[in-house]
Amino acid sequence: MSAAGLVVRFVHLAATVGLVGIATALLVAGPSDRPTAREWQRAMRRWSRVLVTLALAAGAAAVAHQAAVLEGGVAALDARAFGRLLLGTQSGAVWLVRGSLLVILAAFLAVRVDVERGGDWIAARGEAALLSVSALALLGAAGHAAAVEPGTARAVIVDALHTVAAGTWAGALLPLAALWRRAGREDGADSRPYAVLAARRFSRGALVVIVVAVVTGAGNAIVQVGSVAALVGTLYGRLLLAKLALLAGVLGIAAINRWRLVPALSGDGARVGRPAMRRLARLVTAEAAAAILLLALVAAMASTPPARHTPPEWPFTTRVSLVALGHAPQLRPLVLVGSQIAVLGAAALVASLVLRAWRLPLLGGALALLIAGAAVTLPPLTIDAYPTTYVRPRVAYTAASIANGLELYRAHCAVCHGARGAGDGPARGRLPRVPADLSGTHTTDHTAGDLFWWITHGIARGGMPGFGSTLTEDERWDVVNAVRALGSAGSARALGEILAPPRLVAPDFAFAVGPTPPRALREYRSRRLVLLVLYSLPTSRPRLAQLAERYDLLGTLGVEVIAVDRAGGADAIARLGGAPPVLFPVVTEGGREIVAAYDVFADGAHAEFLIDRQGYVRARSTGAEPPTDLDALLAQVGELNAEKPAAPVPDEHVH
Amino acid sequence: MRLWKVVVLVDLALVLGVGWGYLWWGRTAARLERDLALAQATVAGGEREVHGEGVVRAVLPDINVIVITHGDLPGYMPPMTMGFRTATPKIPETVRVGDAVRFTVRGVPPNMTLTAIATLGR
Repeated sequence: MSAAGLVVRFVHLAATVGLVGIATALLVAGPSDRPTAREWQRAMRRWSRVLVTLALAAGAAAVAHQAAVLEGGVAALDARAFGRLLLGTQSGAVWLVRGSLLVILAAFLAVRVDVERGGDWIAARGEAALLSVSALALLGAAGHAAAVEPGTARAVIVDALHTVAAGTWAGALLPLAALWRRAGREDGADSRPYAVLAARRFSRGALVVIVVAVVTGAGNAIVQVGSVAALVGTLYGRLLLAKLALLAGVLGIAAINRWRLVPALSGDGARVGRPAMRRLARLVTAEAAAAILLLALVAAMASTPPARHTPPEWPFTTRVSLVALGHAPQLRPLVLVGSQIAVLGAAALVASLVLRAWRLPLLGGALALLIAGAAVTLPPLTIDAYPTTYVRPRVAYTAASIANGLELYRAHCAVCHGARGAGDGPARGRLPRVPADLSGTHTTDHTAGDLFWWITHGIARGGMPGFGSTLTEDERWDVVNAVRALGSAGSARALGEILAPPRLVAPDFAFAVGPTPPRALREYRSRRLVLLVLYSLPTSRPRLAQLAERYDLLGTLGVEVIAVDRAGGADAIARLGGAPPVLFPVVTEGGREIVAAYDVFADGAHAEFLIDRQGYVRARSTGAEPPTDLDALLAQVGELNAEKPAAPVPDEHVH
Repeated sequence: MRLWKVVVLVDLALVLGVGWGYLWWGRTAARLERDLALAQATVAGGEREVHGEGVVRAVLPDINVIVITHGDLPGYMPPMTMGFRTATPKIPETVRVGDAVRFTVRGVPPNMTLTAIATLGR
């Protein structure tokens, strides 16, 4: 987003929030017959007219900017481009409705009528509030919240609540500060009771509104950011952090206002009340200035891709993870004690907030305990981290990616790490350190992003070179997927005829039978069990005949059989022949990748993998000779059909 | 007229206006969907001829059936493995298991028979 786009969005947002704030302030303060109060109300109505004009102008500019972005340049802008944007897209339709609301509001504010009678006063002020709040609330329906899938309606409603709550509060600050400044002056004494009443009402309402804004804001953050890595590692997340820091300062001032100044307002006029009101006006003006900065951050966030859709760059060289304890069990008691000290500290903190007595000593003790607890707990849990640690792999965990990665692995990695990743390559003796064993659970302790960093930049102290310049980014992700597959070979070896818990993710693959359109393993998810058979002729022929003859039974039980000839080739079906007729899919295209990837999990010429409806390999049967009967398979299928889905569907990317 | 009455009228107009706009939006979408469904439905009915590609999985000359794993048969059948009755007993003799084929089925659904088949290669 360009600077111009940012500025028009900010001006539009600030003007709309200002409109909402003035309407709220006038409603909160109520009608009055005091001259100073009437003068303030007139000034606010003048400002309303200025702001509504500004909001409309900036809104039109924002629409024009968006149209220019969509059409690819200012030169392409014409009436039809606007038509396409406003009538053809959802965000355009929302802008249209918001624009109409603001036009009606402008007309409404331009008309000068007498509104002294009770019903008219409420109607006039209420209508201004209603129109401006509606215009502000609809902002979310044209922003990031409208792009959330699934749960769009909920995200939009939460976002609208957040915008309205934060907008009413932030917008009302400046108008009310103006009232208090007038009332704090010598000649504004006539309106002081009115100003004090407004302060009390606003103070009460603000508490509720802030709680709503914080809760809905947390909801928005979960949807749009979602993780610590995304919070500290993306522009959107960092803008949010800046917003939170600013907000903490604003809330600090608000707390002083609420608990110190507002109670003092009703004190003795000249000595206590009036100075308190002047201070209140000053502090609230400062608060409002911070709120305007906050709106600038909001405008910047609205024009930045949400953190969830951006690869996060971890800014620290370490991270905290329980994984560290796996290598050093002797540290567990230390961490346990440290965490309990921290819990004690948290309890003391709550107590210091709740209790009236010993508040300061309790607070000091709580902070000391929290720091001590953190100092004991965190060092043992700290492990190395890299900028890419939390990056989501760019390449999905598929057989094709694993096959490609394994080829690269054999060319570049196997010389040290060994053909199967056991750390036993021929060159291992020449290294300063024993190369890592990639075949065990060790690699699963690290994120895919960690592996990607090491493959890209190498590990200097271990003598591992970096491949950032030799391999493309996608190729390095392929290697990560291959290393992940090698790392799960251990859990594949534990699989047998007894159904195992869902641990081993079956890499997705695409295949075709003859000239038919390709299909993917993923398409069978939540519908059918899949028996993936890697076969070699002639060893596997009796087994395939057995499966072919009972294919109707297997189909009735919800099993699809997918057979892959190890020798590969487009003539796989012809090689099988027509007696008995084999009707299950026999892969003629894509088989090479499937064999390469699943061979990591196989131990012989014939291999069968039973994949459940969530996409996990639950049983395998592999060896030089195929199994001779169907009993074991039918028992496993029966058990799988009886069980409830135990594990969530695996992500298509490794972690 | 008193102001509050004006305000009520304005609000009412606003609600009606936005509601009408929303409904218009929905009706436009519904009309587009109906048109699409209609366009698809007009294809159905009467005798039809469908062409497809596939691979021969089994030949059963005794009952004049060829089993083919085929791609999409437009407007008739999604990709699947399916047995087709042949129009003449001669047709099964021309293909073998594993042949990639292009074929034609003709008839009034669901009574369709395979009328022509040509080998693309093995």
